[in-house]
Amino acid sequence: MKGKKLLSTVLAVAMVGAMLTGCGSAGGSGSTAPSGDSGSASAGGADLSGESITCIVPYDAGGGTDTVMRALADSAKGSFKNVTVENRSGAGGATGMLAGATAKADGTTVTMITVELATLEAMGTNAGLTYSMFKPIMMVNSACSAITVKADDDRFGSLEDLIEYSKSNELQMGNSGNGAIWHLAAAGLAKTAGTEFKHVAYDGAAGAITDLLGGHIDAVAVSYAEVASYVESGDLKVLAVMSENRLESIPDVPTCKESGYDAVLGTWRGLGVPKDTPDEVVDALYAAFSSAAESDAFVEFMDNSNNVIEILDGAAFEERIKKDLEIYTGLVNDLGLKVQ
Amino acid sequence: MLMEVLQSAFNPIILLYMVVGVAAGICIGALPGLTATMGVALLLPLTFGMDATSGILMLLGIYVGAIYGGSISAVLLHTPGTPASAATAIDGYEFSKRGEAGRALGIATLGSYVGGIVSCICLWLISPQLAKLALKFSSAEFFLLALFGLCIISNISGKDMAKGLICGFLGILTATIGIDSVTSYVRFSNNVNLLSGVQYIAVMIGLFAMSQAFESIEDIFSKDEVNTKVTRLLPTKEDMKIILKTSSVTGLIGTFIGIVPGAGADIGSFVGYNAARGFSKHPELFGKGAPDAVAASEGGNNGVTGGALIPMLTLGVPGDAVAAIMIGALTIQGLTPGPMLFESNKVLVYTIFLGMFIANTIMVLLGFSCIRLFTKVLSVPKTILTPIIFALCVIGSFAMRNNLFDVGIMLFAGIVGYFLGKVKIPTSPAILGLILGPMAEKNFRTALLKSGGSPSVFFNTVICWFFIILIVVSLFGGRIKALIKKRKA
Repeated sequence: MKGKKLLSTVLAVAMVGAMLTGCGSAGGSGSTAPSGDSGSASAGGADLSGESITCIVPYDAGGGTDTVMRALADSAKGSFKNVTVENRSGAGGATGMLAGATAKADGTTVTMITVELATLEAMGTNAGLTYSMFKPIMMVNSACSAITVKADDDRFGSLEDLIEYSKSNELQMGNSGNGAIWHLAAAGLAKTAGTEFKHVAYDGAAGAITDLLGGHIDAVAVSYAEVASYVESGDLKVLAVMSENRLESIPDVPTCKESGYDAVLGTWRGLGVPKDTPDEVVDALYAAFSSAAESDAFVEFMDNSNNVIEILDGAAFEERIKKDLEIYTGLVNDLGLKVQ
Repeated sequence: MLMEVLQSAFNPIILLYMVVGVAAGICIGALPGLTATMGVALLLPLTFGMDATSGILMLLGIYVGAIYGGSISAVLLHTPGTPASAATAIDGYEFSKRGEAGRALGIATLGSYVGGIVSCICLWLISPQLAKLALKFSSAEFFLLALFGLCIISNISGKDMAKGLICGFLGILTATIGIDSVTSYVRFSNNVNLLSGVQYIAVMIGLFAMSQAFESIEDIFSKDEVNTKVTRLLPTKEDMKIILKTSSVTGLIGTFIGIVPGAGADIGSFVGYNAARGFSKHPELFGKGAPDAVAASEGGNNGVTGGALIPMLTLGVPGDAVAAIMIGALTIQGLTPGPMLFESNKVLVYTIFLGMFIANTIMVLLGFSCIRLFTKVLSVPKTILTPIIFALCVIGSFAMRNNLFDVGIMLFAGIVGYFLGKVKIPTSPAILGLILGPMAEKNFRTALLKSGGSPSVFFNTVICWFFIILIVVSLFGGRIKALIKKRKA
């Protein structure tokens, strides 16, 4: 009897233990790493090398934004005491970004801000989130929209074919969600080209791409990274990309601009801190994370995952966000998407 | 090539990684709130430093382990560790109440194994043929699949269908809260925590686990003599027969559900449960602790594991949320899932096939060797166990999004669940409504959007008709059977 009691107590303790470790990993602390000796974040004035930094990712663990943040945090861990990644998903990113914007303004909570900072406000589903709540540190990477169709679709040899077709026929264009960046990018292209697409919204880009592979829709306008594997396997082809310059990985594919449609639209990811954070702290964070973004490990990771690194400093990044908000607000109004 | 595959799969280090993966998976799965998807996502960064084979095989181990692990807490505590075991909890807990927890765990373990192995065989032998099926599914087919799933409510409602329907519709209604994904219209609440909807995992923890914990407070000091003695580990001959028959069929069904993109192990287990009830000679025993019910549900959800890999490996299309993360893991390793993978990395692909067999085998060995240990949980006095369950519920619902609001949702669902239990309304239809309601609604509207409003889109393809027939049979099958019997008599 006594033995039984002991056993149950031990079990109870074991369960609590399992529960605590489960909680620890659930909290996203899987990437916590002790500091190394290399480098310190004192370059910009403030010394953050003794601080523990929490990076908020406003999306689920395992997604694109999450893996980029975790790889960046891994490369930056030497500059701080440790770096922890925490996922705060919900409301299309608003939950996590709001949490980051209202955190303590001492530089210990860094948020991965994404293009949704502009699109959610344009759509009116931002729940009070606005870009001026953040002081941007730097932009990390960007991805332009790639107009993609089935490789064996003879109707579309070029972007012009697709635009012309859409003028006299219904062209079903898949996107990653109503009011999401790829919806707005496709709408922006249609607007500059003076035509209309029938936008079909999916939960995320994967659903749209699968439907395109099955021939249930005509085209998708998602990032090149998301369709790259199907382009390589010969199932899909990219007609044009909505960037300033051609992409390195697909040099034969023209930009929309070259084809005469001035649409440069896409997503970006970067880091931000609450707006009251002192400038010297922001400078120190910039120094630490920009050198992490240039590290070999991070560059290799980004290459492997078809992500394009594009580093902008805080000021240039803020300009970009402001400009995007203007463009998307205009598009949302044109499309009548604004949520009342 | 065979030698290379054997060498890379039976490499001791890789086997160790897989044992660790499966064990971690079982723990993650058994803890409510930590799902298979989350386990794989959180341990993904660990694989960055490994080579592709070790990394993927460890993730597979976590996946297989977690889907099985959910059944342990479902049987012992009426708390599905993951949504995939929600159907297991219905009958599994009845066994525990009868003092046959060990028997139920044995059935669940072996059922999971049989389902997993059936899906492995499909993955191994006919994946290129089956993969094309994934691309045949579009909005109309998804809608009909979801509708078919919702019909299952009629079979898990127990005696009183009306009560089940009330609860099911309550679930569907709750799922409409938040931003409507077709028009972005904000429904019912502008609270930032509700914009992306009510977290169904928090609701599930509340309805199943929290309500159970509330109920056990009522007689917390009473010592009920539950017989926890496990007399035998391996199922009896009769049970074995049932498992082999039921789980292999539901394993096949699970494989099919796994192939369909966006439909995961939670749907697999419910559909398996429903099918087994249809085949069973004693459908009236379902819900009262029938061995075939546990075997069916566990065979169904572990069948999904292999199925989900089929479109992932052959087309690069994820079969469920876990497969989507694995595509990410492969990409980070510089590999591109899809038809090219079979050409360029044949050894890796066949190692993954073999790895699935090994992971399932590790799972069944670990499972059987720990059943005695698992059942000891039941001999923990309620005064200790109940607070632990409270803590687990809070942590599990918080961990989903690191959001305290979800803990509130869980508590609310727990209170609702407690009173639903008092008036004998079954709660699992609500979970089904929460999972399938949004899927049905969204795909219904997208299908009509694409067809320009014409409902003919729901009758256009063979798959559509397949589901329509399934729906009719599942709703009226019993009636028709009875009618035929009457005629004959």
